[in-house]
This record gives sequence, structure tokens and C-alpha cells, in this order.
Amino acid sequence: MIQKLARWNILFLQYLKRDWKKMIIWIAGLGLFSAAYVPAFEEITKGQGLIGMYETLKNPAMISMVGPTPIEAAAGYTLGAFYAQNMLLFCSLFAMIISVLHVVSHTRKEEDLGLTELVRSFEVGRQANSFATMTETIFINFLLALFIAIIMISFGADTINAQGSFLFGASIGMAGMIGAGIALLMAQIMPTSSATTGSSLGLIGLLYIVRAATDISNTNLSMINPLGWTYLTYPFTENNWMPLVFALIFSVIIAIIAFALEGARDMGAGYLPEREGRANAKKSLLSVRGLFIKLNKGTIISWFVTFVVMGAAYGSIYGDMQTFLESSEVVKQMFTHSGISIEESFTSTIMMVLISLVAILPIAIVNKLFSEESRLRLSQLYATKMTRSRLYWTSIGLAVISGIVGILLASGGLGGTAINAMGDDGTMDLIDFLVAGYNFLPSVLFFIGLAALVLGWVPKFGKAVYIYLIYSFMLNYFGGILDLPEGLSKTAIQSWLPRMPMEDFDATVFITITVVSILLMIIGYLGYNRRDIKEGV
Amino acid sequence: MTEIVKVQGLQKKFGKFQALSDVTFQVSAGEVVGFIGPNGSGKSTTVRILLGIIKRDAGIAEIFGKDVWKESIEIHKRISYVPGDVSLWGNLTGGEIIDLFMKLHGSGNKKKRDYLIDRFELDPKKKAKTYSKGNRQKVGLIAALSVDSDLYIFDEPTSGLDPLMEQIFQEEVEKIKESGKAILLSSHILSEVERLADKVVIIRQGEIVEAGTLDELRHLTRSTITLETGGDVSEIANLEGVFNFEQKDNQATFSADNQYFDDILMKASKLGVKKFESIPPTLEDLFMRHYEG
Repeated sequence: MIQKLARWNILFLQYLKRDWKKMIIWIAGLGLFSAAYVPAFEEITKGQGLIGMYETLKNPAMISMVGPTPIEAAAGYTLGAFYAQNMLLFCSLFAMIISVLHVVSHTRKEEDLGLTELVRSFEVGRQANSFATMTETIFINFLLALFIAIIMISFGADTINAQGSFLFGASIGMAGMIGAGIALLMAQIMPTSSATTGSSLGLIGLLYIVRAATDISNTNLSMINPLGWTYLTYPFTENNWMPLVFALIFSVIIAIIAFALEGARDMGAGYLPEREGRANAKKSLLSVRGLFIKLNKGTIISWFVTFVVMGAAYGSIYGDMQTFLESSEVVKQMFTHSGISIEESFTSTIMMVLISLVAILPIAIVNKLFSEESRLRLSQLYATKMTRSRLYWTSIGLAVISGIVGILLASGGLGGTAINAMGDDGTMDLIDFLVAGYNFLPSVLFFIGLAALVLGWVPKFGKAVYIYLIYSFMLNYFGGILDLPEGLSKTAIQSWLPRMPMEDFDATVFITITVVSILLMIIGYLGYNRRDIKEGV
Repeated sequence: MTEIVKVQGLQKKFGKFQALSDVTFQVSAGEVVGFIGPNGSGKSTTVRILLGIIKRDAGIAEIFGKDVWKESIEIHKRISYVPGDVSLWGNLTGGEIIDLFMKLHGSGNKKKRDYLIDRFELDPKKKAKTYSKGNRQKVGLIAALSVDSDLYIFDEPTSGLDPLMEQIFQEEVEKIKESGKAILLSSHILSEVERLADKVVIIRQGEIVEAGTLDELRHLTRSTITLETGGDVSEIANLEGVFNFEQKDNQATFSADNQYFDDILMKASKLGVKKFESIPPTLEDLFMRHYEG
């Protein structure tokens, strides 16, 4: 055993040295994300806020997303209970995912890159690397747990006590260790690093979906789910440490299995054989369109799912709209306008939020063309009879279609869930939601046009389009509170469009922005068609 | 012979950096032109201009008598290209990528594809992300060789290939050449160029410093001669056209300008020649001569 672990301590120190920047970002980033929202939550829950939130989070749709609470009556719902219910599952999930990526990057990935081969040629034990990686991951997750607890305690908020804070932090740290264990196990079984990452994340996704079902039907069943052992500790309410004991035992067992498997396999090999691909391409791949659909498929599908989920998440609030709006002054100011029903007013703001989200995907698709170009993947294709205009318009076309479908999914998801949640009290039809959504179509087209312009003339500034998107989103989202001057707020494209259903449709603006967007695409095309392809320059 | 590629006074700047200052050469049908020069000398830039990927600042660049920038698509129907660093989509298999390239080119030959996959021993069912550098290069080569073209442009095509595969590549290029196609072969592997090329173009800092057939180039330079004589060999040392004279007993090794061979031989025969060996300069010698001051 000692021989197998020879010099693990050197590797461990080496990893700390190599990763210290990553560690700081990891601990500070995830730590602050997990712990620093306490004051914000305090603000939201002032007055009747907690009751509103309790009602909102009682909705099965919300429980399936954020998890349950042990509290059975609105009166017993404290800030701590609310914080734990809202944050713990997500933070645990993030901790797990980051640990998976980290463990894979130091084990299977290094093996694939040939680094392990080099390291093993020295006087280093066969399992020293895995052991060093796991030790490092434990160390990082321990610091993370401690950091979260200290930050939370430091706010001194009501019901956010020391015991609960330590349990909250420890749950997130332990989630990281479950993720690390799963990744190490998969690293032995899978044939490549990407398959390891894929299967580990897939497994975690599966655990998340299973717990969504069991949380709604019977929370006790979530107790046999490793992901359940994190948020079912119920910090600040029941303060139950038992699930963490299960999680610890589970992590140790899978780590031991992983070490045993590693000891018996060849370097670079996995227990599962590599899946064979196709020797010949399917007909559907054999065109520029087919290729770009295939290249963007993963991104498109995951964003489409996000659009539906986000739409549904906001839609589920409609049932308790009144309580939600009265929960805080800030929220009220954002969503209410005199003389208009709260549902309509809320829809008009939320639609702006959703469609800004929808705009991300088409921008990503347009930018993809440049990342393919600069990574030299198109070199050999340029030398065929395929034209640049085919490449360009295929990407733009794909972006436009995904924008149109994205709006359908987001506004349909919102409308469908909202109508369901409102029941018989509803004042809006699905068509109202769709119209409100498609009213923002020109803004999506405008972002595509902007991305196209950048692609054609200054492709390395592709990311700048996202910055403008964030800027214009912020301007619109907080515009209601800040009372901005007209000139400034008009720098955001969404501000030009009326907010339906609260305001009336404006055909002139709709058509003008659409035409401007198409012009931008054409100007972008002129640039793309005559500029140098950026290859190794 | 039909002129396929014509490049004259080509210039290209990237910002302030003058990548090409004066590039001139031709490639004719049935001819392999070796394009050699160190990294950063402008080989790939020239190739990219020929492909219409980047735009020249000045000069003429034509393929099949057509302008490479304005009529690139017409030209592309009849050319094949392999870059020196084939970069592939990780989630597609080699077979899928080859099919895609062939389809986008237009005139693919399925039989030839399968034959080449077999010859190059590529596993087409593997995802491209698992391929080594050599295997990625094979994908590019198979795709380019499976289509019927009139001009083949290879930019360091064999980088990463093992010697056996290099050999197969050379055999395939010879076949293309015999069928009357034109080939522009940019390469670092001088023995490869020596074997395949009819003509050599040497580029240095964006300028063509030498161009011609290998024989012509050799003629311009010196051969290495080993001579053993009965009489005192040191008399040779002072002759015109003799350089780097080194003597050991009555045996001498020196380099000699080809045009002075006659004088040297006359003198040597007076001394009584016991041994005479002449080694023509290798391409490497020619190449080094241009880069070592």
C-alpha cells in the first residue's frame, strides 16, 4: 500500500501550488454565492414577505426545483428556513459539479493528455495521483464549508445561528465530496475524460430529477438519494447531522471501490470499452446546415430546456401573485403599475427578462462560427466549393430560428404554467402570453444583427455583444426603481418596444427594429465576405 | 505544359508585420513543386492567399488562370487542400468528417475513400477527440486524396505521421503526379521534397530566394569531393573553385564549384588519381546555405 502511494505528498503540494488561484476563485466564488445572500434575503422577507415566500415555495413546481422545507405552517417559517430551502440544494449541486470537474481534470484528463505517463515514470506510486487529488479536494471542500459558515455567522441575522451555519457549510462541503467520489469512480470505469465528465454530470442530473419526484411525493424517499443527504439536513430548522454521516460513509465507500478498480487497470484504459461511432456519415450531416446543426445541437437543446424551466418557474408564481407582490416594497415597485391587473403588469416585466435570456442562444450560435474559424476547424472546408456566404447565412438562419423557437418555449412555458397556477381566476389566455413574447422578437433579431456585424468586421469582440445584452437587461430590469432619464434608457434596445400586455402593440417600432436588424446582418455579411479569415495570425 | 498556379510579386502585411514581400513562382500540370522554408517564412501565408482565405495586398495570384480571391469558389471545385495542422470536431468520427469534406468538395470517390482508409490504417469509427496528431492528419489526407482534383495543395501534410505512413503518402502523391495533376507541396521534410519534387522554391522572410529544378539548383552550388592522389594532394588546395580544403596524408576532402570540375580533374590526373568520390549537395545543404549567413 505504501508503495502504491509513494510520493503522494509531493504531488499533493504540487497541486496546491498549481491550483492556488483556482482554489481562491472556487472557495470565494461558491462560498460567497452560498452565504452572502443573507442580507438580500433579509430584505425580501421583511414584513409579510416570509408568508408570501412560504406560500410560493409550497407550490410543487417550486419544490421540484429548490427542494422542501420541514416547516408545516407559515407562522413557523423563519429567515433561516427560507434561506436553507431556497439555497442549499442549488449550492450543493454546484459544489458537486465543481468537484467533479476538478477531480476529472487531475485524474482522467491528465491520463488522456499523457501527463500521468510522465509522472509515473518517476518514483511515484500507481495510486499516488488519485490519492493526492482526493486529499486536495477534501482540503478545498473543508475550507469552503468553513468559509461559508463564517460568512453566514458574520451577518448576525435573526435565526441564522452558528450551529445552522456550520451545518449549512458542511452540507455543501460534503456535497463536494460526494461529487469527487462519483468522479473518481467514473474515471476508472469510463474510457476517456470527456466520457467521465459526461457520465458523472449525467448521474448527478439523474439524482436531481429523481429527488424532484420524491420531494413532491414522499420526502422520506429522498433520504436514499445521495443528493438528498445534503439539503435534508435542514439547517436552521431541524439541524439534522445524520444525512452527513450517510454521505461520509457513501463517499468513503465509493472512493475505496474506485481505488480498488484503479489498482487493477492499465493506465489510459477504462473498464467500459470505448463506444464505436459511425464509419460513415448520415445524410443529414452532409451539408453546411447539417454540420452546424450538429455542432450547435448540445447548446441549443440545453438552452431550450432552460427557457421552458425558467418560464415555468416564473409561471408558477402567478397563483400567489398578490402575496408575492406585497412581500416587499422593492418587488412591488418593480411590478406594479396603476390601473392594470397585477398579472398583466408582472407578465410585461417578466417577459422582458425571459426574452433577454432567449437572446443569449442566438448570439452564441453566431459567435460559434468565429470560434470554429479561429480554432482552424474550417481550414479544409474553405478550400471546397462551399462559399463564405453559405457559412454566414447558415449561422444567421440557425440563430434566427432558435430565437423564434426560444420565444415560443419561454412564453409558452410561462403562459402554460401561469394559467395552470391561476386556475379559474385567470384573466389571460395562452395567446396573450405568446403575443407578449413575440412582441420582443425584434430585440432578439437586433442582438443577432449586432453579433453578425461584429462577426463580419471585428470578430474578436464577439463577447462584447453579451456585455451589451447584460447592460440593456439591467437598464430595463432596474429602470423602474431608478427613474432613469429617457435618453439613457433608450440605449437599451428593449426600451423601444412597448411592454405588452400592459401597453399596446406598436407596429412601426416592431417593423423598424426588424428592418434595422436585417440591415445589420447584411452589413455584417459584406464584412465577413471580404475580410481575412483569422487563422494562426 | 499548362500553367496551373501563377504567383507574381505577391505581398501581404499583417498590421505592421510584412509577412510576404516578394513571392513569385509557377506550378504546371504534371509537376510537383516543393515549397520549402523555415517556420514563419511565409509558406502558410502564401498557401492561404492561394486558397482565397486571406486577401493579398499586391501582386498576382492565379490558379487555372483565375484570380484566387475573386473566383475562389470556381477554383475550389478543382483543388484539394490539406493543412499542416488538421483540427477536427471532437464529437464526430473520422469517417463522418471525411464524408463531410468529400460531400462539400463535390467530386468524391467512395471506393477511393475506403481504399485510402485501409491503406493509411485509420479507424474511421473513432471520435476525432481520441485521435493523435498523426491520425488527425490522416483524416485530412484521406479526405483530400479521395476527391478528384487538378491541383493539390499540401501544407506540411505529413507532420506527425510515422515513416511508414509518410511512405504511403509519397506513393499516393506519385500516382497523382503520373496522372498529370499539379501539386504544391510545402514541407519541412527535405528528403520528402527531394523524392517527390520536380522543382523547388525556397522562401525566406517572405521572399523567394531560390527557385528551379533540383538539378539546376545543384549546379549552382558545390559538390563534396574526396580525392586521393599519388603525388602531393596539397597542390589542389590553391586552385580556383576549391573551398574548405582538408588534408590527411595524401587524401583530401573539399567542396568544389561545379564549373571548375574540369580544372580540378586535370590537375588531379597529373598527380595520379587513386580515389575520387563526388557527392552532390543534398537539398539540406542547399537549404542550409540560404539560412546560415
